[in-house]
Amino acid sequence: MTCEECLSELATGSLREMAGDSTVMEHCATCPDCSRLTTLLRDREYNAANVLNNLPPISNPITLAETAVTTAHRRRVGRVVVMITGAALVVTIWFTAATLILPAMRSDGPTTSTLLTETIPLSCLSPQQAADIIDPYLRTRGSLYFIPTSGISAITVRGTAAQLSKSKDLIRNFESDRSAACRSTPPASIKIPTASAEPPEPKAPPEPKKRPQPKKQ
Amino acid sequence: MSAGSGAVPTQPYIPLTMSVSRFGKSRDRGASPSYRDRAAYALDAQLASLASSGDDSAFTTLVTRFQPAVFRWALMFASDPDEAEDITQEVFVRTYRQLGEYRSDGPLDAWLYRITRRAATQMRRTRNRRGRLALSSAAQPTRDVYTTDPGGRVDRERAASVIRELFGELPRRQREIFELVDLQGFSPAEAAERTGMKPVSVRANLFKARKAIRESLLATHPSYRELSR
Repeated sequence: MTCEECLSELATGSLREMAGDSTVMEHCATCPDCSRLTTLLRDREYNAANVLNNLPPISNPITLAETAVTTAHRRRVGRVVVMITGAALVVTIWFTAATLILPAMRSDGPTTSTLLTETIPLSCLSPQQAADIIDPYLRTRGSLYFIPTSGISAITVRGTAAQLSKSKDLIRNFESDRSAACRSTPPASIKIPTASAEPPEPKAPPEPKKRPQPKKQ
Repeated sequence: MSAGSGAVPTQPYIPLTMSVSRFGKSRDRGASPSYRDRAAYALDAQLASLASSGDDSAFTTLVTRFQPAVFRWALMFASDPDEAEDITQEVFVRTYRQLGEYRSDGPLDAWLYRITRRAATQMRRTRNRRGRLALSSAAQPTRDVYTTDPGGRVDRERAASVIRELFGELPRRQREIFELVDLQGFSPAEAAERTGMKPVSVRANLFKARKAIRESLLATHPSYRELSR
């Protein structure tokens, strides 16, 4: 065996299981370098094992057992307290949600079952104009209006009874008002004659035809 | 709670693996448990059963029997003996709480080893989380706990220096395997059973650990440079 082979064996082999008649030990008997190294390695690991394996624990086992029992009991109580606290927290959250948050959410807007839908015919206003008028009054959840796309002169409103009534009143008022909507402002593209402009001259009344006077003879 | 009042006699626990295989003759590996082993297992199971039913004296006996072994295992995962003491304390707290889960079909020391491993891992994580606090001067202990035992202090400082020298840069798994096999005398198969690793992985970790630990000394050999080329 060469020194290289011996080092390779020493690098990863078990030093405890090297018998006296092994090839490594036979080589060490003839090679002072390998012998010294083997001795150093074995001594170091033996001393380490000796120090670590024979180090006694410093704490008294009876005290250790008593402390362990006390700590275990304390942790058990702590765990129960944590569980109870957690359960109380869950119950509190549930109670708060059930008594405060959910009713508040419900009162926030009418449910779909309380909403009514009605179509209001329009005679003067366009559907878009009617929508502009009633839009500010349809602000609760679920309230809305539909503008027909096929040109029908009507608007469909969905909302509470009060909203529907208000919308109908508003539309009725605007439609009956003479100065509103269709009866008032004409399109801007049409020129409106202003008061300052000169009125067209009235046609001169046709002169009466003179009767031909009979000639005096 | 009073010590020694239980039915089971108190005696110091000396693990078989540690008592017969410290650089001495290796024990018969792979053989079925001897009569002595089976008797010890039965005694441990009886103690565990009594302790789980609320007999505190049985638990004290159990602690007395296993404290040295648990402390030794805790040393594998600790950076110094004081930390190993903390791990040992934590192991027995968990043992007391989990005794009802112990099934007597396996040896109690293997079950305790698993608890030790888990406790050490968890404590290391907690320690890492609190690392910044521990570095502050306010967290340093002001009282010397070894003033009444100077010999113990020397032993512990020596153990801490051994841990630093041998395992300073070694990964945790390699250190565990090296300690179990080379320092405590377990076979690779036993180490695999305890750590839950495959025997092949145990051998691979063992080789890596040995190589890393012995490299500094091997480098002093005149032929080492030629070998490493």
